[in-house]
Amino acid sequence: MSAHATAAAHAHAEDHVPTMWERLPWMAAALGFLGCLAGYVFEGPKNFAHAYLVAFMFFLSLGLGAFFLVVIHHLFDAYWSVPTRRFLEHLACLLPWMALFFLPIGLLSGDLYYWMNVDPAKDHSLAVKQVLFNKATWGVASAALFGIWWLWTHRLRGWSLRQDETGAAECTTAMRRWAASGIFVFAFSLTAAAIFWMKSLEHQFFSTMYGVYYFAGSVWMTLATAYAIALLLRRSGRVPMMGQEQFHSLAKLLFAFTVFYAYIHFSQYFLIWNAAMPEETFWYAKREQGTWAIVGWVIILGHFVLPFLVLLRIDAKLSTKVVIPIFVWVWLMHHLDLQFNIMPLVQPEGPAFLISTLGALLFIGGLLAALFLWDLRRHPAFPLKDPRMGEVVRH
Amino acid sequence: MSAHAPTDSSPAYSTTTPPELQRVPLVLGQRSLGWISDKISSIVEGDTPRWWWYAFIPSFLIATLGFAAIGYMITTGIGVWGLNNPVMWGWAIVNFVWWIGIGHAGTLISAILFLLRQKWRTSINRAAEAMTIFAVMCAGIFPAIHVGRVWYLWYPLPIPNGNDIWPQFRSPLLWDVFAVSTYFTVSLLFWYMGLIPDLATLRDRLRVQALRLTDPAAKFINKAKQALYGFFALGWTGSNRHWSHYEKMYLLLAGLSTPLVLSVHSIVSFDFAVSQVPGWHTTIFPPYFVAGAIFSGFGMVLTLMIPMRSLFKLEEIITERHIELMCKVTLATGSIVGYAYGMEFFIAWYGGSPYELYAFKNRAFGPYWWAYWIMVSCNVISPQFFWFKKVRTNMVAVFVLSIFVNIGMWFERFVIVVTSLHRDFLPASWGHYGPTWVDVVTYVGTMGFFMTLFLLFIRFLPLIAISEVKGVTPQADPHHELGGATREGARG
Amino acid sequence: MSRAHGILAEYPTPAAAMAAAVRVRDAGYSRWDVHTPFPVHGMDEAMGLKNSPVGWFTFLGGLSGYTGGMLMIWFMNAYHYDIVVGGKPLFSGFYAFPVCYELTILLGAFGSILGMLILNRLPRWHHPLLSNLRFAQVTHDKFFLVIECDDVKYDEARARALLQAGADHIEMVEDD
Repeated sequence: MSAHATAAAHAHAEDHVPTMWERLPWMAAALGFLGCLAGYVFEGPKNFAHAYLVAFMFFLSLGLGAFFLVVIHHLFDAYWSVPTRRFLEHLACLLPWMALFFLPIGLLSGDLYYWMNVDPAKDHSLAVKQVLFNKATWGVASAALFGIWWLWTHRLRGWSLRQDETGAAECTTAMRRWAASGIFVFAFSLTAAAIFWMKSLEHQFFSTMYGVYYFAGSVWMTLATAYAIALLLRRSGRVPMMGQEQFHSLAKLLFAFTVFYAYIHFSQYFLIWNAAMPEETFWYAKREQGTWAIVGWVIILGHFVLPFLVLLRIDAKLSTKVVIPIFVWVWLMHHLDLQFNIMPLVQPEGPAFLISTLGALLFIGGLLAALFLWDLRRHPAFPLKDPRMGEVVRH
Repeated sequence: MSAHAPTDSSPAYSTTTPPELQRVPLVLGQRSLGWISDKISSIVEGDTPRWWWYAFIPSFLIATLGFAAIGYMITTGIGVWGLNNPVMWGWAIVNFVWWIGIGHAGTLISAILFLLRQKWRTSINRAAEAMTIFAVMCAGIFPAIHVGRVWYLWYPLPIPNGNDIWPQFRSPLLWDVFAVSTYFTVSLLFWYMGLIPDLATLRDRLRVQALRLTDPAAKFINKAKQALYGFFALGWTGSNRHWSHYEKMYLLLAGLSTPLVLSVHSIVSFDFAVSQVPGWHTTIFPPYFVAGAIFSGFGMVLTLMIPMRSLFKLEEIITERHIELMCKVTLATGSIVGYAYGMEFFIAWYGGSPYELYAFKNRAFGPYWWAYWIMVSCNVISPQFFWFKKVRTNMVAVFVLSIFVNIGMWFERFVIVVTSLHRDFLPASWGHYGPTWVDVVTYVGTMGFFMTLFLLFIRFLPLIAISEVKGVTPQADPHHELGGATREGARG
Repeated sequence: MSRAHGILAEYPTPAAAMAAAVRVRDAGYSRWDVHTPFPVHGMDEAMGLKNSPVGWFTFLGGLSGYTGGMLMIWFMNAYHYDIVVGGKPLFSGFYAFPVCYELTILLGAFGSILGMLILNRLPRWHHPLLSNLRFAQVTHDKFFLVIECDDVKYDEARARALLQAGADHIEMVEDD
């Protein structure tokens, strides 16, 4: 029977004729590439680099969020998330691919991270952390992060795919082991990524919450995406046991992370506001200049209040008419939140539209979508012999 | 049903579970519904076990001693404590944060696990909620007495004082007043609401027992107990129309208690973090305090439950699986706390403020280095043993580790409070801090007070939520064969 | 002086009580109830009960807590005795937030509990069922269905027939 299952999956992949939907990502990527080129030429490398970093951190959120959800699934020994696990594993396995998209950031690092052009002897806050903040460490650390992510995400998916064939308990045990070490790896690598690639844009700023802040937004955005993908998979009929339980749980987690993000960001702002120490307040002061002040309010209302009120009711959590617009809205808000972190450096007066922003999103997003769809095609769409599948079917 | 035939779009899948991955049921031994109420009620109805007195009398004496120490402090003055410049916040605030943190596990179990539909909570939530209430009572003692002149305790209430000045709402201490009093009130109400159906159970059992009584004195006691339990049961008849509103109310209280419990320790952390004191002002404090609180609370739940389940022979209701799950929560929160410790240290270095960095170096290698390393080993290292199933299922090991957690979390607050204050910006005002015997007796006294209350609770109230445990058994499921469903309609 | 309260049927399992509830619901009775030791999953649908409106009480409580808190703090610290402390504005939603948040929860909890008590007409000191000894098993392991005599459709023989299937015992309950 196992041979049958894999044969079916393979047959599925080989006979495949690309549909319009599957060509779309490639077209988006091509268009995005042109947009990036145009942005680089007409808007200048500095503007382009920042807009590109926003898009990069945006999609990195998706991979990290999925990595987290897979790890948590194993640690909690949950049953409801079994049907969603395979596509989350695919999303997590996009993380090593992000190394490719990191190349422009590496090449343009001088335009992004101005500490790279500052003499540490003349800058106290750089001098103290020079061990960490020098080009070599920065490059090695960045490379190491992708390596770590490759190892863990592929091990987790590898054991999961092996279980599709054998159904053995040892696969679950192995996945739990990788998940147990994975939760630590996840916490440290995400924090390092947030610090090296985003917080270091303004190396004088420090906040112990920053990693948690990026984490909260990332998982939030991933949950909304997971809901949408789960819905598409149910429509396609490829995951027959995807049902109300999965949607309800995903929506509840989305709701929980709406609140968690608000809690984290409120705490960070509130503590900095109250203590009013200039070495910290400058960061938010800069983000209250010009129309960034409005963006701040949009984040409070759009990142928290609106999804909070909408998702409060159980019928809303289960209604595709509600959650699909919310999914689009979540993407917009998470992108805006990252812009709020990154763009004031090149747009001190307020956010302005850049071709680079759109181009980078389409380019990275399009290629990642193509990779994801390829993964989805060539593997079974859900863990075929997961030991908790019985519970999923019974509930 | 073990394998499913493939359809056009989905391949074949299987629903079998290998034997080593089977889940253990929540109530062992396939007990009947009646057995559950008999078992739990018999603890309240039966004779007082001898060990109860052995535990109660010393607890009560220690509590009395503690209150005597408080009386001595109030009549003599706050100087009998070890407080002095520059450490103006000593054991009182350490104990306050420690106790209130312990309370958080109860609310987590009763509210958050309820929202997450974690059915295993039903065996432990009642006792954990009681623990919350008693811990918050112990916590509340310290801010009340630490003002020194306790007759000014009404100052933080929204009442103008003699000069027509109102309380100052910019002060985090005032936020604390509102947070802790709300926490106590809501926890108490939540606990009581959960008790109503079980109080009705005790009332109805007394009515049946009355039939067998002939002795007029015993009859009178029975009547008095019936009146008392009946009064607090509010006339509960198990009506489904009532259950419908009741369950909604319970869900809403859980929904309110969840943000409440997160806010309480966040606000406690604001006491420190809104200041500019090195080591106190750091943005990760709110979630870090909440994780630490849940960590310490689960430590205390384990400390209490492990002896309780064996003394009352409750191993079939509070199973090994329950203990394991609690160990896992402890492990998770302990690791989050570890992340926060690391982050604090890292950012102290990264931020480049010499005062901040000094505060942390001083914590780890200064005069209080021992407190810091007790904290790290108890809170970060000791829970890591819970990765191993062998440890999680060894009750002695779990008990010992849970004690470490309690100790470690006390030292965490000690480290935060004392090391940050004893050497701040001005080296001229540096000092050393140590407690006096009054500090020690007061603290130990609150432990006696806590144990006294807890022992009274397990003697007079059902320590496990009877109706809720019944609700998670298969007999309670009208779609299960054991619940009376016909074979065709049954599932599983 | 005693008068009939209603007819009481005892069932051994939740499934039997639920099947009886469906029959009674479909027969169109209005003054009847099922009594169980714990909330039975699906019984609300079986009885045809609507979603409980307790949430509105919670909402009203929470809303009054939040707005009341904000007004109180503004009045005390920015209006009635305005005094600058710590360089903070006289009134700001930021420093007022923690207290208002707590008050929202406190009054929301009061609202929920009051709502439940009001909707359930509790507490009550006496209930005819509570003097029935058999009914004492309701908090133990038995499931009961009661049709009250006040029901406009009430007819003892018909009610008895309706409750018969699956019941262990049927009797009349008196209100004394």
